[in-house]
Amino acid sequence: MPFVDTLRSLNTMKAEGVIEEYAIAGAMAIVFWAEPVPTFDLDVLVRLPQQGGDLVRLEGIYRWAMARGYAAQDEHILVEGLPTQFLPSPDSLAREAVSSAAEVDYQGVAVRVVRPEYLIALYLQPTARTVKRRERAAMLLELPSLNRALVDEILSRHGLSF
Amino acid sequence: MAFRSDPSVEAFPPDGLVEQLRQGKAALHQRHANLPLPEKVRLVMELQRIVLPLIARQRPLRSWERPWEIEP
Repeated sequence: MPFVDTLRSLNTMKAEGVIEEYAIAGAMAIVFWAEPVPTFDLDVLVRLPQQGGDLVRLEGIYRWAMARGYAAQDEHILVEGLPTQFLPSPDSLAREAVSSAAEVDYQGVAVRVVRPEYLIALYLQPTARTVKRRERAAMLLELPSLNRALVDEILSRHGLSF
Repeated sequence: MAFRSDPSVEAFPPDGLVEQLRQGKAALHQRHANLPLPEKVRLVMELQRIVLPLIARQRPLRSWERPWEIEP
């Protein structure tokens, strides 16, 4: 199963209204911008269609996946064989990261990827602040193309720091 | 046998060597970063095979921690 088919599926989910928007985050997003890092799943930040109530539900995603024969495995869905974790944007930083995602071409398929400036901020959130994530933030800081002023602005606006 | 340093031998690397090594490492990271995306995905899969036994030594693997069986 080609990796590109997993990416196509994300676009299909959006086209069919299962999700409003998405952006690849986590370690695979790093791979798009920097060097390969070891990871075993694909994290996808999603903006879901409006739902009633305060509880965010991923039922729509799971129903869609089941209809396409994608098995669920604990907190992952095997989208074209790839363990994929759909993460509803939990806060304003994640929502911004999704909205401002860059469109990258992978073998002719356009796919949305969280920009490195936002990846750094996401890795520095207090709830996510493990040693590994700080190392990944540090790696992203070394990117020649990084907009350091944007990083500083995002961190300042969201009350984050190194 | 105890090692005894010879005071006549310089104990520090020559000037510029450490910086040269740092630049070489940075260049290697940049070369990997500039690889085509499918090649990077292939390398992710290679890294999975390398680190999986190391992780398994430290803790039980989670259900999704397996090498991907996909084409890059």
